[in-house]
Amino acid sequence: MNPPSQFEVVKPGLETTVQELPGRLGHWEQGIPPSGPVDFWSFRLANLLVGNPRDTAALECQVMGPTLRLHCSVLIAITGAEMSPTLDGQPIPMWTTVIARAGQTLALRGSRVGMRSYIAFSGGIATTPVLGSRAVFHMAGIGGRALQPGQTLPLGVPGGDQRGLYHVDEAHRPPLGSDESRSVACVRGPNDDWLSDESLTDFVSSDWKVQAQSNRTGMRLSGPVFSFAHRATHKRPEHGQDPSNILDHGYPLGAINLAGQTPIILINDAPSTGGFINPFTVPSAEFWKLGQVRPHEILRFHEVSLDEAQQRRRDLDSAVTQEALTPQ
Amino acid sequence: MIHQHPRFYVGGDRYIEVELGDGMSFELNILVHNLVAAIRQAAIPGIIELIPELASMQISYDPEVISYADVVREVGALHDGASRTDAAELPSRMFYIPVMYFDPWTEACIEDYRSRQPDKQPDAQLVCQANGLPGRDALRRLHAGTDYWVAALGFWPGLCSLMPLDDRARIVAPKYNPPRTWTPRGAVGLGGALTCIYPDRTPGGYQLLGRTPVPTFDREQRLPAFHDDIVLFRPGDRVRFIPIDQAEFEFLESEVEAGRYEHHCVEHQTFSVGRYREARRRLEAGQPAGGSA
Repeated sequence: MNPPSQFEVVKPGLETTVQELPGRLGHWEQGIPPSGPVDFWSFRLANLLVGNPRDTAALECQVMGPTLRLHCSVLIAITGAEMSPTLDGQPIPMWTTVIARAGQTLALRGSRVGMRSYIAFSGGIATTPVLGSRAVFHMAGIGGRALQPGQTLPLGVPGGDQRGLYHVDEAHRPPLGSDESRSVACVRGPNDDWLSDESLTDFVSSDWKVQAQSNRTGMRLSGPVFSFAHRATHKRPEHGQDPSNILDHGYPLGAINLAGQTPIILINDAPSTGGFINPFTVPSAEFWKLGQVRPHEILRFHEVSLDEAQQRRRDLDSAVTQEALTPQ
Repeated sequence: MIHQHPRFYVGGDRYIEVELGDGMSFELNILVHNLVAAIRQAAIPGIIELIPELASMQISYDPEVISYADVVREVGALHDGASRTDAAELPSRMFYIPVMYFDPWTEACIEDYRSRQPDKQPDAQLVCQANGLPGRDALRRLHAGTDYWVAALGFWPGLCSLMPLDDRARIVAPKYNPPRTWTPRGAVGLGGALTCIYPDRTPGGYQLLGRTPVPTFDREQRLPAFHDDIVLFRPGDRVRFIPIDQAEFEFLESEVEAGRYEHHCVEHQTFSVGRYREARRRLEAGQPAGGSA
């Protein structure tokens, strides 16, 4: 009899979760966020390396990776943040297809460069979808929780059309830890008209330090003080007392959400709505940077037009295909 | 204030905020829901999700399928068409939610907060004072004496913003400052002119008036009401609170725990915007409500 297609969690790592693309769509109006991998560029490359469709369910590891025991032989690939992976204690390369056999132990350590790693398995993770997706919103327990010691996760059946071993060379990966990775494009709006002209300029000309309290809902930044436009200080009382308050409205993923004087970049598990303004929004092609920035690092923002943001999205989308892989 | 034309704001490469007015009123919110219904019905390719809110909505779209300019054009045209008519019949289920007002669990939460913020007036007392009510009984009668409109959901899965449909039951309250670090699951709160039901144990800022034993969010999908969903309400539903005592609370809680509780929901109802407006006009003119309104 074949061994069960699954792996067992020996050590869970820090809030390691199953993620899938496009995430949980269709329930945002009930307060359920899309979730999904934050750095979807690295995530997709991991899937391609093991021969999966690029949006297949895989693990997202944060800061400290997990230790897993494989109950079956599979192809695995680890991308994203450098977490010094080993298989039965022997170092294995990242950004590369690796053959793992039943009984072997895969261990990841703390991230040295970047913040989030992705582990893909041939066949993908086959947990039961909740509301149409395997993506996990672990803080609310939707689609499951973060990995627990002793838990087993089922794997799917590999497609069988690809058994090759591949590698992604540096030119085809997100440049983690580079200056580029800390220079983040943003688009003005939806609530840029609530800030003073001075603050709009300050935002793109200042250093922003990422605070330690950052998770899959968002990351807090510290930097210069904001000043507000007339609209923010002369408004109907329903909007709330603080200049950064606005009547409850929807929150885009990537929004620079200003709560009082603290900007928070909202990412995949963020609140769907709330009563603070969003003067800028980070477009989707920049999300790999948001997924990989570490606490205490300095971010700089630069403004791009809507057209440019959408062009970058197309460019990234067409760059993350089988073509990005080199046969070994 | 309702804008003559909706205002569109860019939210990155795949989201648009559509603002239909400035302020909080049922009239404005119903325009949002009418427009959401019209967009859904039009089934515009490339529009992925809609989040209706109090005076605005967020649209997510796939820019590879539809451009920003085309979303603006199509949604603008739908707004100019159907969204202001009285003829709209919106699907709107009616939920009866049992609530123990001034229950011991929210009282304990309030006292926990007050042990660190001694200047904070107890919630019910503060709300009575702010609204000229003689006491808790009057507050309970007023709060449970109207249907509520689920104007929006958000911030946390299943957290609802409820507007009283009867203007005579409008109660207002300031929010906690600083916010609470925890709130009992099922607590019923009031902030600004909105009521909410906390779906889970979360931080919060609304004044607490009571607690329901029945879940509005069930990640395990155990009870029949959560068969197809994990959140009880959809925007545009209605809610009526039914006051209960502690014995009834405990009975219902045990029914929920045993997996036997069936939510009291009238599935077949719709909400007539025109008839609601008519009933409201009569009320404003001091005329008695007629027949079935």
